[in-house]
Amino acid sequence: MSWRDSEDAWGWISIALHWAIVLLVLMGALLGLVMTEMSLSADKVRVYALHKSIGMTVLALMLLRVAWRLASRRPRALPAPRWQNAVAATTHWMLYAAALALPLSGWLYNSASNFPLQWFGLFNLPAIADRDAGLKDLARDLHYLLFWCLVVLVVMHAGAALWHHLVRRDRTLSRMLPWLKPAAPASIEARQGDN
Amino acid sequence: MAARIPSRRRIHQGIASSCFAVLVAVASAPEASTPAASVTAAETAAATWEAGPPESSLQFEGAAQGEQFEGGFERFEVRIAFDPAAPEAATFDVRIEAGSVDSDNVERDEALRSPDFFDAGAHPLAHWRASGARSEGDGYVADGQLTLNGITQDVQLAFRWTADKGRALLEGEATLDRTAFEIGAGEWADADMIDHAVQVHTRLVLVPVSGTP
Repeated sequence: MSWRDSEDAWGWISIALHWAIVLLVLMGALLGLVMTEMSLSADKVRVYALHKSIGMTVLALMLLRVAWRLASRRPRALPAPRWQNAVAATTHWMLYAAALALPLSGWLYNSASNFPLQWFGLFNLPAIADRDAGLKDLARDLHYLLFWCLVVLVVMHAGAALWHHLVRRDRTLSRMLPWLKPAAPASIEARQGDN
Repeated sequence: MAARIPSRRRIHQGIASSCFAVLVAVASAPEASTPAASVTAAETAAATWEAGPPESSLQFEGAAQGEQFEGGFERFEVRIAFDPAAPEAATFDVRIEAGSVDSDNVERDEALRSPDFFDAGAHPLAHWRASGARSEGDGYVADGQLTLNGITQDVQLAFRWTADKGRALLEGEATLDRTAFEIGAGEWADADMIDHAVQVHTRLVLVPVSGTP
């Protein structure tokens, strides 16, 4: 398998971007859920700083991901009813949108709150809004809402992937996770062709 | 219609109302009614002055996580006795309500008021006092003491003084180390998280304390 995507396989770039973003989003989510419960301390400030650094990394990787998706091609959809492909395509685009909007809303929230934004202690990012109490509240609500939308989309997306892998026994998941191999594919695929 | 020459009665009314208007204007002119404007140079020099918000400002600048931030105190009182001809006799008294801090960030201001920083509950008033000032460069310097968070340390104020029409303007700067006052001590002492150096700027519009000669 190569770096680039082909007609029937994801390339390593797409795979690496996918899983890197999955891991970072998971870490960011855990930190985000924990940090708002912390009482004022230097550790709380550090956890917030880490959450924000991870969020900005997700944003950067998502922008790369979108650029790559536009520049590259995606593998052909595996045989499936048209409605399934439509649902899959919709879910994927909504995942892209949510994963971009979530860190952006966080950036807005941080800016409207008049807090600094430093990337892993190395350099600072500018504010994207002036301090504004109304905007701060709106951005915070948006950040929370987008997070829960992302959770729902991820559950649907991962659930569908597992369904493809365990029930349909097709290559959908193993294409994105190359170390997995679906069991007994041959006879199942023959039956799929009749749908 | 042809223009008419006003009657004699109308002319008298016109003169009377013009005189009245001039009298009103003269009576309400600021120079005539404010006592301070008629104070002589000698009287101005020996005066005790006071200042406070909103005409005056007391601000500070710090840095946290790679970025500068500014704040100020909304409530403070200043009493100064100062004569540019005899700065060594000056006295300065500045009382600051620590809880009135405003750095344009709700969470940060709450933290600043908390026991880990200004501890405004236990130490509601910060106090800077100095006796005597000396000329330095094109301004002055006063060696004072600041009591903040219950701790007293030397803090020097460098300032410029201009007096004009019975008011005086003092613009000054000071620098202090927040850790010397245990503002953010222990786990908060890390300079990368919050810089130790804090710059203070003040712009005081001073008026004579009423009742002084």
